[in-house]
Amino acid sequence: MQAVLKRLSNFGDKPRIYILPTKFGYLLAFILFVMLLGAINYSNSMAHLLVFLLVSLCHIAMLYTHKNIAKIKLKYASAEPVFMGESAQFNVVLDNQSDNDVYQVKLALKKASSAKQSWFSFLSGFENKNTLPHIQARQTATATVQRKPIKRGYQALGKVRISSHFPLGLFVSWTQFDSSDTVLVYPRPIGELPLPSSLGDGEQSISSSSPGHDDFAGFKKYRSGDPHHAIAWKSLAKNDVLRTKQFTTAQNQRCIIRWEDAQGYTEVRLSQLCKWLVEADKQQCSIRLELPKQIIDFGVGQQHLQSCLTALALYEN
Amino acid sequence: MKTNAPSSTSLIWLIAALFLAAMPHFFYQPIWVSIIFVFGLVWRSSNIFFGFPLPKGNFDLMRVIQLSVGIIAIVCLFVTYGSTIGRDAGVAFLITMLGLKVTEIKNHRDYYLTTFLGYFVVITNFFFTQSMLMVMLMFVVVIVMTACLISINNPSNQLSAKKMTQLSSKMLVQAVPMMLVLFVLFPRIPGPLWGLPEDAHGTSPTGDFDRSSLLTDTAITGINNKMKLGHISRLIQSNEVAFRVQFEDEIPASEDLYWRGPVLWETDGNSWFEPDYEILEKRPKYYYSDEGYNYQVVLEPHNQHWLFALDLPSKLPDYSDAYLTNDVQLKSRTPINQRILYKVNSTTDYFLDNNVNFLLKLASNLPKGQHPKTVQLASEWRSFLPNDEDYIEHVLTYFNQQEFYYTLTPPKLSGDVIDQFLFESKRGFCEHYSASFTVLMRAAGIPTRIVAGYQGGEINPVSGDLVVRQRDAHAWTEVWLDDKGWTRVDPTAAVSARIESGMNEIMPPEMRSPALIAQNDFLRELWQNIEHNWDALDSLWDLWVLSYSSKLQLALLAKLGIDNPNWQKLAWLMGAFIFAVLIIMPLFVFSQRKPEDLLTKNYQLFCDKLKQASLLRSKHEGPLMFGERAMKTLPQHAQAIEDITTMYINLKYGKQSYPIDAFEQAVKKFKQVRF
Repeated sequence: MQAVLKRLSNFGDKPRIYILPTKFGYLLAFILFVMLLGAINYSNSMAHLLVFLLVSLCHIAMLYTHKNIAKIKLKYASAEPVFMGESAQFNVVLDNQSDNDVYQVKLALKKASSAKQSWFSFLSGFENKNTLPHIQARQTATATVQRKPIKRGYQALGKVRISSHFPLGLFVSWTQFDSSDTVLVYPRPIGELPLPSSLGDGEQSISSSSPGHDDFAGFKKYRSGDPHHAIAWKSLAKNDVLRTKQFTTAQNQRCIIRWEDAQGYTEVRLSQLCKWLVEADKQQCSIRLELPKQIIDFGVGQQHLQSCLTALALYEN
Repeated sequence: MKTNAPSSTSLIWLIAALFLAAMPHFFYQPIWVSIIFVFGLVWRSSNIFFGFPLPKGNFDLMRVIQLSVGIIAIVCLFVTYGSTIGRDAGVAFLITMLGLKVTEIKNHRDYYLTTFLGYFVVITNFFFTQSMLMVMLMFVVVIVMTACLISINNPSNQLSAKKMTQLSSKMLVQAVPMMLVLFVLFPRIPGPLWGLPEDAHGTSPTGDFDRSSLLTDTAITGINNKMKLGHISRLIQSNEVAFRVQFEDEIPASEDLYWRGPVLWETDGNSWFEPDYEILEKRPKYYYSDEGYNYQVVLEPHNQHWLFALDLPSKLPDYSDAYLTNDVQLKSRTPINQRILYKVNSTTDYFLDNNVNFLLKLASNLPKGQHPKTVQLASEWRSFLPNDEDYIEHVLTYFNQQEFYYTLTPPKLSGDVIDQFLFESKRGFCEHYSASFTVLMRAAGIPTRIVAGYQGGEINPVSGDLVVRQRDAHAWTEVWLDDKGWTRVDPTAAVSARIESGMNEIMPPEMRSPALIAQNDFLRELWQNIEHNWDALDSLWDLWVLSYSSKLQLALLAKLGIDNPNWQKLAWLMGAFIFAVLIIMPLFVFSQRKPEDLLTKNYQLFCDKLKQASLLRSKHEGPLMFGERAMKTLPQHAQAIEDITTMYINLKYGKQSYPIDAFEQAVKKFKQVRF
């Protein structure tokens, strides 16, 4: 009794779990109705019994389907940054907080644009993305779902529907989570203009840089003997791997990518800048990015490229 | 997008489930039904195992084969049954088409539909028999059928076959409480809702060829309103229960147990039948003095109108359709097509008067020019025995002292059956004796009629019921004596001990029990014991479960103290109970085994195992200390002991909540170690 009261008092806090019969559930209901008519017509006790058994089996199946997702929580989702036009791969981590294994948990995402708006549109417009066949009791499991972002900048995963038909497929139960975990979306790397030549109009760039300056070039795995001041402590906190920062003296070509060199509206310009950044990185140039309110000085390597791209992604956002 | 086709594991489950569900029908249905059904299943199985092609597209060879088999099935159906309407034809249609459907399951929708139709096949079995064995078998089938549904929802085979069966059994067991509430309280609507096909009750004609061939009219089995010599002797080969009787006080002696059925007045010389005179509907005239017997009859459905009762029912039974005819037949106005229960009071000591003179004339008629020898014999005797009772006595003595034998397998008679029986074969069964006795009486001018019914019965020592079976079918006569009214004379009693000792005793052992054990007294007795117990259980089952109807429902409600029970109150009560189940069941389903309990249990198993190596954990000893001690004693298992101990400590005291499965597995593995 206390359990019931406790459950009732907690009612508001829990994510709501919806349940409805599937089309197969309705089909079985129809067949059971025909069976009941047969049982009545023939006054057959055991036929009645069977119909009642199957009716109550449906009730139990409903409870099981509910139970299968009742204690699933969306723990977090993470995704590597993508360019506009690409699909973001979200790793969604589901946490099974119950003491029972659960099976066949489906993940669905709300479609980016659901055209028709109706009263129940908050329930519809989901697209199935992936199925987790099994999550053990008190365990987490990761599923990948793809989502195509429609804007640059930090884009949240948004509404995630977790649903299940298990065990009998007669009911579908689902619940929604609104995930605020994001993916960083860079502008689409397109543009007609050639990469501003690093040599041709580059006197300024050459003069402004001091030779022998150590440029950050990336990480490598820590080996004993590496200088302690070069250890990337921040990175350690992130993923438990000890790394050392690598510095190289710039021997590469230098390249300045300026807001002014691109043309057109903001987004067009950003796309152009983005394209230049990618190209310059391919040519292993040392890149300096100049935006109206932000300047990122010369640098090379993945980390540097990312911070430049991030600056573009978040420009006036 | 993953494919929508059911996995082969799911299909194998479905094939197994359908086979089990349809199996009982193989015994009733004509052979082609089973062949076509099994053909479909085998075809699909060979596709799964050997990659044999399935029908696809419209003009593929396999499609042509499939369609031809379908057409053959329908042709056979019309040849055998004339239509697809009716119970047997409907089942044959369902099963053959289901078999063919299995060959073309392509997606989830097909799979679900086939499974649901599988449930339908389960229900059709109950239209043939509702015995306890069938119900148990069908429960198993429902478990497998439900496992099919789990299997289709388990496409990546995360659950083993064992787990699926366990889950499906668990769900079905959890479904039982609600099922019981619905069974007891769901307001029953007295059927039928629409006209029932003629074969709706009783056994199928095709599987039971023997018996159906001797039936005239629509009768399924048992007593008929027409007696042809040779009919009853074949009936006695059936051990089927006709009805069960529970006496309120003592059970009368076997020789007094005459259960009256149809009364046969008219004859064409060959067979005897019931006349169709309205005059017979008039109430009889009778006097009786004694209290009589109070008893309750549970009558099996026989699709006829008789309600069998002992001798003269002095009060009409509490069955609403019952009435008594002038020749003392207790009948129902509607045919008995389901098991019914009625209470009667009968008297065996009575004076049955005649109030319609026409009937006395009817009871003296003989077909002209037939049985010349018999008629001649009768007039010879009559000439020196003018007194009716002396004459009757003489005839019975004649049966008793001449070479007349009572046999269950009389020779076949042809021509003038009565003359042939009396003067040539002299071997016969009750019907021969009663028919020839009646001819001898009528030829002497004594009004006589044949009464068919059952005689005796077997007392089941377990339930105390008197069980009357088809083999107790009997025919006797009633003669009109001016001072005694209609008086029963049983000519069979003159030649056989059957009446005193009952049919069961005089039957050869191999007809009472399976041939294999008939020779051994002990086994035979054991067999009878089992039979009695089973029959007692079966009759309870029949009475309380199978006959559960709106009438019993309302009676139950009255017993619970509810005034004026009606179906609305029933529905309210059902609603209340269902509400309770709806609240209680989730608690069961959602209740979880606490992991700590599992943890302690498994650690205990580990300690128990170590006891085998004389390692006892004392109360003050913590798991760590105990583990160290154990490692020292059993260095060869040190690793396993350390692992288990560490896991236990982490699970019990650590913050980690990694799955207990690993711990369970480790303990399980350790338990198999030999020291």
